[in-house]
Amino acid sequence: MTLKDKEVVVALSSIPNTGKTTLFNLLTGSSQSTGNWPGVSIEKKIGHFNLGEYQIQLVDFPGTYALSPLSHEERVVRNFFLKTPPDVVLNILDGRNLYRGLGLTLQMAMSGLPMAVVINMLDEVRQQGIELDIPALAAHLGLPVVAISARTGEGLPEFQHVLYQIIKNPERTRLPLISFPPVLEEAIKSIARKIDRSNKIQSLDHNFMALQLLEEEKASDAIQDQAVVRAVKSWRQRVESVTSTKIPITCATCRFNAARGLVLEATHQRPIPPDARSEKIDRILLHRWFGLPLFMLIMLLLFEAIYGLGVPLQETLAHAFNTGEVWLLAQQYITVLPAWLQSFLFDGLWQGIGVVFSFFPIIALFFIFMTLIEDSGYMARAAFLMDSLMHQLGLDGKAFINLLLGYGCNIPAVMGTRILSSHYNRVSTMLLIPFTLCSARLQVFVFLTAILFPPAIAPWVLFALYIGSFIAVFSMGLLLKSLRIIGKSEPFIMEIPPYRIPTLNSVTLRIWQELKDFLYQAATLIIAGVMLVWLLTHFPTDVPFASAETWAGQLGQLLSPLFSLLGIHWQETVALLFGFIAKEIVIGALAVIYGGADLNIQVAAHITPLEGLSFMLFTLLYTPCIATLAAIRAESRSWRITLFSLVLGLGSAWIASFVLYQTGLVMGFK
Amino acid sequence: MNAPLTLKTGSECIIRSLGQDKKIAQRLAQMGILPGARLLVVRSSLFGETLEVCINQGQYLALRADEISSLDCEIVAMPLSANTVKTDQDYRIRLLSGGKAFQQRMEQQGISPGTVIQIRERNKLPILIELVQKKKRVALGSGEAEKIIIEIIDDPQR
Repeated sequence: MTLKDKEVVVALSSIPNTGKTTLFNLLTGSSQSTGNWPGVSIEKKIGHFNLGEYQIQLVDFPGTYALSPLSHEERVVRNFFLKTPPDVVLNILDGRNLYRGLGLTLQMAMSGLPMAVVINMLDEVRQQGIELDIPALAAHLGLPVVAISARTGEGLPEFQHVLYQIIKNPERTRLPLISFPPVLEEAIKSIARKIDRSNKIQSLDHNFMALQLLEEEKASDAIQDQAVVRAVKSWRQRVESVTSTKIPITCATCRFNAARGLVLEATHQRPIPPDARSEKIDRILLHRWFGLPLFMLIMLLLFEAIYGLGVPLQETLAHAFNTGEVWLLAQQYITVLPAWLQSFLFDGLWQGIGVVFSFFPIIALFFIFMTLIEDSGYMARAAFLMDSLMHQLGLDGKAFINLLLGYGCNIPAVMGTRILSSHYNRVSTMLLIPFTLCSARLQVFVFLTAILFPPAIAPWVLFALYIGSFIAVFSMGLLLKSLRIIGKSEPFIMEIPPYRIPTLNSVTLRIWQELKDFLYQAATLIIAGVMLVWLLTHFPTDVPFASAETWAGQLGQLLSPLFSLLGIHWQETVALLFGFIAKEIVIGALAVIYGGADLNIQVAAHITPLEGLSFMLFTLLYTPCIATLAAIRAESRSWRITLFSLVLGLGSAWIASFVLYQTGLVMGFK
Repeated sequence: MNAPLTLKTGSECIIRSLGQDKKIAQRLAQMGILPGARLLVVRSSLFGETLEVCINQGQYLALRADEISSLDCEIVAMPLSANTVKTDQDYRIRLLSGGKAFQQRMEQQGISPGTVIQIRERNKLPILIELVQKKKRVALGSGEAEKIIIEIIDDPQR
């Protein structure tokens, strides 16, 4: 087979925390694209680069410990390797601790695919005084091994040379030898023979396939031959009864026994020295009593930095858009257009684009700080600190940061769920974020409470709304956990990486990627949503904008039996519809709908404090805005989850407001 | 089987078997943490539900205490304050985890790494220990006891 005519598919595989993404960035720069693996909310990252005469497609995976999956991530990786084997595998090891990763290396090496081992973090290896015998490791594995530092770029030419050679001569000469218990060896040989006979051409080694089938029941998806499946079943029982241990555990034990031997051969070093610098920092940051307050302080600073800088930038951008609109409206070729078209272009399309861009500064800032926190290693510590609380919700501590940052703006918080460690964590967090009281909702509440309540009470109403939001997040979390619709949460075993200084390169690449994703994946839906609201409030064309006769007004009145139970008039229902674009608009919408001069007087005249409270509670809980929904859609890649989020928000908002309003009425409030 | 609370900071245990919880067992196995591995509890969170452990192969992991207790572990070292210490058992002092001043103060009383001790009174304060070789009794406060890490001596040598 010659690889010259097509793109060579090279897959990166490694356990977590080996600097895989840094290597990916080093090799592909900004020529990356992200998509998702079919059917799951797991990111698929692909990059391209040229090596000599070859065009290379580099596929990045989430870090996995083994090819027999325990999580959604690992299932994606396993499916890729078993169903569409890549042309070349690059397995990355952490040079400071070879043992951790060698289990996967040995498993991968058994597959018979052309493969090279890349030992990363050469700079840190040297700092710690570890000496690696790379030829010895290469000899034992039967694979080319090359050491690099992806952070500094050291060893890159050697790496490129090795990769080039493998692509040129992809034939493997031998596989590594791992000794298994005799009964397991026998099982592997017998099943491999059956696979030989099944006449299916497999690029994967048949012994490897046999072991995969034995290790994992569901791996038989990859093989249709019934004779093989039956043989696997009976052998599995026999092996397990002889060894009295589950096969995956037997296999892992055998692989790591081999790994231990390899480590002894390849490292001229006593047991790995503990990381003194990280330990020193952790003694403060993870202190039993000061750890949590310090974490809160860091979060507070982060919050201030993101939103203190982001909101003014957002306003500047909004101002620029308004100025642009005024300027465009004055242009001659615009003024000759019919009024409805002008309205469509500016109140619809232009505003939609404005909404999309208004999120750029916040998303950029958010990811600058998130990348810093994640790459420095503090994220794992934060997860450790917050684990007790979040465990109650079936989540792990990392999700706390996303939820907290949701109090600034939901959109980047939802986008940030990507870094969470399991499918359950991601989906559950993404459904909870909309219940956080974001700054846009705060504007509405500040305005309304100031009008409806005396100055002594208004701050307490705001405070109560914040508490309401905490309660909503927590109780929804418990509900989601008990309903088990997202599946079960996974056991919490998290590696705590050493502290590192994040690189500028990885921060900038990340922001670039996130903004691009937001633009590609969320923008269309946001603009479509804004247009829909424009349509509802401007049609039919012969009635005043947002009046009772427009479609929106008619919809508001149609829904009034539902909303009058909450003390919400049809005018406010229309305003809530506007709130769908962005919560800030609710106030402006109320002004337009009620017409008249002073909105303060209008609101005070039309809405009682109890009705106002009910309206605010509804605003707090119902779907934050079209941009958040678009972000949920983009992150979950599932319309079902998006729709569920919408229903969950509207449903809980209606129920909560109903209970509040009716209880208020019974108790004689107004 | 150990109750989760016994795994205080400074405790060390050896995994005997990976236990019945299949998912955790399999995950630990995939990470190379197999029977025979030693877990050292580096720190615990505020309420002691989440632990940071160091595995003797050099990995640092965060785990939940109740998940560790689903494994079959044998505790080999623990702080003197742990509720698993028994009164009819020889212990050897493994290390004094406090600062320099604390270590000096302890050594003045004859307590240093390697010293064999027995616990005489542990249910009320002060905790009374006997230095086996010197036949001397020392009273310790609970804060002091927490910083003294002891290991079980299986085969008493007197």
